[in-house]
Amino acid sequence: MGLLTNKFSEDNVIVAKLEKLLNWSRSTSPWFFQFGTACCAIEMMAAAAPRHDIKRIGFIPRSSPRQADVMIVAGTVTMKMAIRVKKLYEQMADPKYVVAMGSCATSGGPYWQHGYHVLKGVDIVIPVDVYVPGCPPRPESLIEGLLKLEEQILEDRPLTRKMA
Amino acid sequence: MTQDKEKLIVELVNKGLDGDMDSVNNHEDKIVRAKAKAMIMKVKKGTVERPPMPEISNQVATDPISGNQDQAIKIEDPFEKVKKVITEKYSNDLDEGKEANCIYFKPDNWLEIAKWLRSEPSLLFDSLQCQMGMDMGEDILESRYNFHSMELDHYLEVRIRVSRSDPKIPSVEQVWRIADWFERETYDMLGIEYIGHRDLRRILLPDDWEGWPLRKDYQEQETYHGIVVPKIKEGWD
Repeated sequence: MGLLTNKFSEDNVIVAKLEKLLNWSRSTSPWFFQFGTACCAIEMMAAAAPRHDIKRIGFIPRSSPRQADVMIVAGTVTMKMAIRVKKLYEQMADPKYVVAMGSCATSGGPYWQHGYHVLKGVDIVIPVDVYVPGCPPRPESLIEGLLKLEEQILEDRPLTRKMA
Repeated sequence: MTQDKEKLIVELVNKGLDGDMDSVNNHEDKIVRAKAKAMIMKVKKGTVERPPMPEISNQVATDPISGNQDQAIKIEDPFEKVKKVITEKYSNDLDEGKEANCIYFKPDNWLEIAKWLRSEPSLLFDSLQCQMGMDMGEDILESRYNFHSMELDHYLEVRIRVSRSDPKIPSVEQVWRIADWFERETYDMLGIEYIGHRDLRRILLPDDWEGWPLRKDYQEQETYHGIVVPKIKEGWD
């Protein structure tokens, strides 16, 4: 309810664009696919745990790609995993978003030059919406990234036909 | 600690009073030396009674007279014992190598030796602690095994050298079950083929990966399922 809390003194009617209403509801409950590939997963868990509690901004961990709107790629993605990441992304229902968490997922991190088995950034296989830097990023930075994602979702136009 | 020092001082005082002033003067610790000398002076003046010689001395190890005693206490090196038993039985299968604290074998008879290592009553290596591989350069791959006997508490390292062009070693997977994954990892990284292994697949890398990454002449493949492997991002140096 974040946007409308304490805005009205009595019962009221709101006139809004359907897209805006949809975006507002989507942006306040983007369920994320919990899926840790390396050490960043610990920070993601810490962010989901009571101290930081990203559930209060609407992010709820789901264990199935079919129930998730956001994929947080938390950690190093190896070549073996890259194919699976892609498959999991394809299993998610549209509209879907990806957060690349940590320097491994954004650019390969410490393996960017000599890691023959590491994917140099998850954006090679799937489109990424928000990059969260850090090695690993603190839960606060992850939350910052997720809030940025919420802003992005608010600007989305899911009902408008895309021009070719 | 202080008690030890006091004993040491008393001992030095006794030696000094018996005429052996060298061992007092040559003592390393300045404070002990000074205290011992001061005490000798006092005893000579008669202000202090001569202390009795302490029974257990801290100096036995450095004393040249008790050096023999030290040697007698020294236990026989368990590795030498193990090595002797093995080299007597399998003298034909030994290989040459630089390291002295391990045993080199030729690969041909390895399975039989492994079974014997495990069952021989004087060895009883019931635990394979680690198995790993290494590229030694100069066209040589090495497979190393670390054994421990829980029964007799001794250790052994075995190394087997094979050429890079024909790396074949009998598998000990059925002798020590733990070798299953160890050998799969060595196979994955170095391409050493373990003959007789029942499930020799890659363990870490995907099944369709090309090449053996830990070999010194490894060239990484260009693409993997359409993904560029050594990607250089634009604008990066």
